[in-house]
Amino acid sequence: MKKVYVLIGNYGSGKSELALNFAFKAAERGERTELLDLDMVNTYFRVTERGNMTRMKEIRLVSPNFANSGIETLSLPAEVASAFAMDWETVIFDVGGDSTGSTALGRYHQDFVELEPGSLEVLNVVNIRRPLSGTVEKIIHLQEEMEIHSRLKLTGMINNTNLAEMTGPDELRDGYEMIKEVSQRTGVPVKFTSGKAALLEQFLAEGHDPKYIGQPLPIDIYMKRDWNSWINSLGEKRPQQLEYL
Amino acid sequence: MALTLMKGSEAIAEAAIRAGARFFFGYPITPQTEIPEYMSARMPEVGGCFLQAESEVAAINMVYGAAGTGARVITSSSSPGVSLKQEGISYCAGAQLPCVILNVMRGGPGLGNIQASQADYFQGVKGGGNGDYHLLTYAPSSVQEAIDIMMFAFEKAEKYRMPVLFLADGIIAQMMEPVEMPEMVEYKVDPEKKPWACTGWKPGDDPAKRGVINSIYIDTKRGVINSIYIDTESLSIHNEHLQAIYKEAKANEQIWENYKTEDAEFIITAFGTVARIAKTAIDELREQGVKVGLFRPISVWPFPYDAMRETICRDQVKGVLDVEVNEGQMLEDVKLGLEGAKPVRFFGHLGSQFPTTDEIKSEILAMKEGK
Repeated sequence: MKKVYVLIGNYGSGKSELALNFAFKAAERGERTELLDLDMVNTYFRVTERGNMTRMKEIRLVSPNFANSGIETLSLPAEVASAFAMDWETVIFDVGGDSTGSTALGRYHQDFVELEPGSLEVLNVVNIRRPLSGTVEKIIHLQEEMEIHSRLKLTGMINNTNLAEMTGPDELRDGYEMIKEVSQRTGVPVKFTSGKAALLEQFLAEGHDPKYIGQPLPIDIYMKRDWNSWINSLGEKRPQQLEYL
Repeated sequence: MALTLMKGSEAIAEAAIRAGARFFFGYPITPQTEIPEYMSARMPEVGGCFLQAESEVAAINMVYGAAGTGARVITSSSSPGVSLKQEGISYCAGAQLPCVILNVMRGGPGLGNIQASQADYFQGVKGGGNGDYHLLTYAPSSVQEAIDIMMFAFEKAEKYRMPVLFLADGIIAQMMEPVEMPEMVEYKVDPEKKPWACTGWKPGDDPAKRGVINSIYIDTKRGVINSIYIDTESLSIHNEHLQAIYKEAKANEQIWENYKTEDAEFIITAFGTVARIAKTAIDELREQGVKVGLFRPISVWPFPYDAMRETICRDQVKGVLDVEVNEGQMLEDVKLGLEGAKPVRFFGHLGSQFPTTDEIKSEILAMKEGK
């Protein structure tokens, strides 16, 4: 059965990173995989930038028209139809942030409805270190908004709590606690918990309730930015002249 | 320390609100549209006002009006939009209205491109509008530093009654970093303490209590804010007063950072995010035994000339490498400050392409080999 993953979530929660990880893992299992870049919100950070990587792994990538050419029209290409029409084993939709980004999915409402029951996973990627998903109430609010705009029902959540290169053991743990409460209040299950392998292992060893962990998903970082390697002012002493504040 | 992962635009906008800003006027333009976007949602939550103006020209004039009430007000744009604002900025400077203006620099001239750039240094520090004026101008190099500067920007603007300009390259607004967000500052307009704040005047009020606007030296009644001094004498007095303020700001407001300069034989000068690339290059060069350091102005107006001289004009320093994403704009201030005391080499890109650590390293190695 074709498996369709739709990744939605707060802007900056790590959807593109997870989309690449889902796609690469599927391709490694030998599945015919299509990855669709449906981000109509941010022209700077999109999986299309990693086009060469996806081609190397024989993943079909569908990008917005003129993506990364500097003259983006932010229009959806006709090829999106291939996600539904063609015989893929795994299809991944990487959608733009927040409810605004989710709006792009509404166009394909009928296609989603016609999918074989059980083949669609609509996953909310949650990073509680992002300000707009920093509380249970905010996560639930965003979730409701995204459901309205996308015309899709969430089937699960992904705990992807991180602080980029400064992610520590607290992130997944704090994310777990908060997302657990969201799950209890909304009934939306936790389907995955994702993070770099070492941190994920550490988190799993703490013996939390597997119901709110879902499937552990160790990820590699593909969307790394140049500035992740630059010295961050937070890691060093702030300039003395600013300390009179 | 509670850290959150924030995009520069969001962090700058949130910091402005926490520093007391309750009015935002602006117009969308890449790469800073996330600032108005964030403000549009956040301002109503704190009882503030977000207004998308019909143009950048309108936005800066709304800033002029709101600042005249003593409120803390901010506008943001990117290079071409900041060009449009220049007339209003000059008027704010002339009328001595405190406000904060954000320039998230992109490639130019004209429409240029939407990628990050540092090509508005001249516009920012040498005066983009007309007249003898300056802006307190800061160039943050990280999201956290942008927040830190924002937290004192309004106080400085009010202390000197000067607009503050953020000269942030596009990367600062687009990058996402873990940051610590300070607590909300309670700011209330107190007309007694803000002599420029218009409080309204109605017939029957005691004229003696109307106060003064622009400065104590001109008996303009409170409620009149302008930058026009039609006769030569009053304009001259006004400008001398402005210059005295700039002199004071120059004396007190220079901020900078020295990075591994103590034993350095080569010093890199850079501002904004380029300075961070330079720091990484410095660490890597030091592993190879090359003694390199960085002098980074944080305030680019007033430019920290003395501190730069103190860092660079030492016997062991053999040369200076200035690195920017423009044709060498801050380079002029570096050379001006050094007065020929040390050789200065320049490395930069012109098409929004940021220098890599490898490029900076090879420039320093070439200098070391005397090439």
